[in-house]
Amino acid sequence: MAELAVIGQHRVEEVMGIPVGIDVRDAGIDPGALDRAFDWLRWVDATFSTYRADSQISRLNAGTLALEEAATEVRAVLERCERLRDQTRGRFDVRARGDIDPSGFVKGWAVETAAAMLVEAGARNLCLHAGGDVRVRGERAPGHPWRIGIQHPRERDRVAAVLSARDLAVATSGAYERGAHVVDPRTGRPPEGVLSVTVVGADLGTADAYATAAFAMGLEGPAWTADLRDYDALTILADGRVLSTPGMARLRVPTPIN
Amino acid sequence: MRARALARRAVPAAVATAAVVALLANVRARPPALAVPEKAARPSPPPIAAPERRVSSKRPTSKGPTRTGTHTVTTPFSIISVRVTLTGNELTRVETVELTGNGARTQAINARAEPILREEALKAGSAKIDVVSGATYTSESYRRSLQAAIDQARG
Repeated sequence: MAELAVIGQHRVEEVMGIPVGIDVRDAGIDPGALDRAFDWLRWVDATFSTYRADSQISRLNAGTLALEEAATEVRAVLERCERLRDQTRGRFDVRARGDIDPSGFVKGWAVETAAAMLVEAGARNLCLHAGGDVRVRGERAPGHPWRIGIQHPRERDRVAAVLSARDLAVATSGAYERGAHVVDPRTGRPPEGVLSVTVVGADLGTADAYATAAFAMGLEGPAWTADLRDYDALTILADGRVLSTPGMARLRVPTPIN
Repeated sequence: MRARALARRAVPAAVATAAVVALLANVRARPPALAVPEKAARPSPPPIAAPERRVSSKRPTSKGPTRTGTHTVTTPFSIISVRVTLTGNELTRVETVELTGNGARTQAINARAEPILREEALKAGSAKIDVVSGATYTSESYRRSLQAAIDQARG
C-alpha cells in the first residue's frame, strides 16, 4: 500500500522449487538473519525433497539410509507426521502414495522455523510466504495488521477473501495449481466437490497438514474443520459456496468486489 | 402452542410470522436436545432434510385468503429461512427453507456442519493485501500470480 512508508527488508528467492518471500518491517535487522533463514530453507530442501535422489527422504525410500542414521530433524518430522495422521483420521498420510513424502508438512514447518529464526534475530514485524503458505507476525505498519488474501480458485488475479491478523499461519490446499496432487489415501483419488481449503492457526506445519487433510476429505472436510481445536478453516466448494468456521469469520475483513 | 395463540388473537400476520421465525431461530441455534418446543411436532429434533413442520391441524382450504411469506433470520450459527403460510388469520404451515442448495450432498453437509459453519457465496474481489495464501504454485505459475505482483510492488 503506497500510502504508508515501508521500512525493513524484502527478498524473494527460489528455494524448494518455489519462490519464497521474506518481508521484514523492522529497521536495523541484520541482513545476515535473512541469509540464515534462506540457508535453513535450502538445507530443508536438500534434506527432505522427494525430487532429489540424494535427499535423506529419497534415501530412506530407496533403502540406502536407515531411519536411525537420519538427521534429528528428519526423525522429528516423521514422528510429528505420525501424530498428524492420527489427528486427521488417516487423511494426512506421508505414505499416501506408497513412498514416504512428508512435503505436506515440511514446507509449512520449515517456514514456521524460519520465522522463529528471524524473531530470534530481533524481527517483530514480518511476513513470509512460500508457495502459497503464509506466516505473519506483528504488523505491516504501526497500528495496521497484516492483510492476507485467500486466492480465488478460478480467477488468478482475484482473492476470495481477505484476513486481517497480527500473528497467524495460513495454509491452503487446492487442486487449481499443481493439478490433482492431493489424493484421499483411502480412495487413491483426488477429492471431489472442493476447490480449496484454507486453514489458519498458530503453527504453519500443522495448518499445512490440516489443509491437506481437509481437502483430501472432499465434502466431509468442512464438518471436520469445524471440530478442530485452535485452528480455523475456510472451504471453497465446487458449487460456489464458501464455508467458514466461526474463528475464520472473525478474521475476515470486507473484500471489495470488482 | 405459542404460534396458535398469536393467530387466535388475530395479531397482524407479520407479527405472528416474526414470532415463529424467532422461535425457529432459537430452536436451530441451540443443541439438538433443546430443539423440540412443540409436543405434537416430532419426537426428535428436525433434521435439515425434513423441511415441513405443521403447526395447525387445519387445512389451508378452510377459510379466508392464503398468503405465504419467507423470512430470513441470521443467528450466530447460521442463516435460517422459513416460509410461513397463513389462511385467513390462521397460521397453517411453517416450512424451514433449506440454507441453500439442494440435493443429498448439500443436505448431508448442512446436517453436520450447519450448527457451526458460516456459509456464503464465492465472490471474486480485489483488495489491498500484503500476501496471498493459495494452493502450492510453481516458479512458473508464480510469475503470473497475484503474489508476484505484490512482491514487485514491495520492491
